[in-house]
Amino acid sequence: MRPPTVAQALVAAVAPATDYEVIAGDLHEEYVRILTTLGATAANRWYWAQALRSIPSLLSYSRSNASALRRIGVAFTAFGALVAMLVFVTAIGMLLRALFGSDSLPVWFWYCIDSGSAVVFGAILAILVRSDGPRVAFGASLFLVACFVVPALAGNPHSQAPLGAWIQLWAVIPAMCIGAGLYQAVKRTA
Amino acid sequence: MAKGEYLGEFEHIVLLTILRLGDGAYGAMIRAEIERVTDRSPAIGAVHATLERLERKGLVSSWIGEPTAERGGKAKRHFKIEPAGVSALKNARQILERLHAGVSLRNVTA
Repeated sequence: MRPPTVAQALVAAVAPATDYEVIAGDLHEEYVRILTTLGATAANRWYWAQALRSIPSLLSYSRSNASALRRIGVAFTAFGALVAMLVFVTAIGMLLRALFGSDSLPVWFWYCIDSGSAVVFGAILAILVRSDGPRVAFGASLFLVACFVVPALAGNPHSQAPLGAWIQLWAVIPAMCIGAGLYQAVKRTA
Repeated sequence: MAKGEYLGEFEHIVLLTILRLGDGAYGAMIRAEIERVTDRSPAIGAVHATLERLERKGLVSSWIGEPTAERGGKAKRHFKIEPAGVSALKNARQILERLHAGVSLRNVTA
């Protein structure tokens, strides 16, 4: 009998790189103990509760003592991925508008899958930085949102945009984190 | 003592639990002991985040053990309390004793 796969993947997605094995082992050990004493239902419920309640704590710390050079490298990689994402999304949007017109079905379809591209770029970022992908994706997406929000709050007339565009922008944060988390979960549990 | 050097409530509990369990205590063991003694069930993530913070403050040290089959082939991280950790516990106890001195809880209604 194994712990619930999705809950295991959740822990794998958010745990810091240096402690993932240790935390997964601790959960497994207690899961087996509950399984033998209280049964499968209680053990599965316990595992799920632990996985969900652990998310904020697991995202809040890292044992990483990476060098300053590596941190700078990660920052540049994240910045490069953001620029690539913006160029890609803008270019596809412009191409579709030029080909089919602003209010055409392909353009609206593209708007709908726009956040999907942020999921893909979150996963790409996690592949590039190799460890603690969700944390880096969260920082990078927060930086991206700040790049648009700060000028708007400062009253820059070029930063005025419809509500839908702002919702799309904020959706980048969870989308990139989900992408990076999914990649990390698949990599660690495979 | 600077503000950041005081123990938080959960840090205090985790540090005392490592002291109770002795050198070599690890995450699942610490979590289970806290649950048994305090009747509250902390998340394993909260225990590990606190252990990492205590280690960063130099109050505990850790080392990785061998993977075992009962843990699905995963290794344990063992913890040991450091002299600075013992000092922090003594200091926290002195503060609580000083605060309790001269205070009676008998006539206070909850």
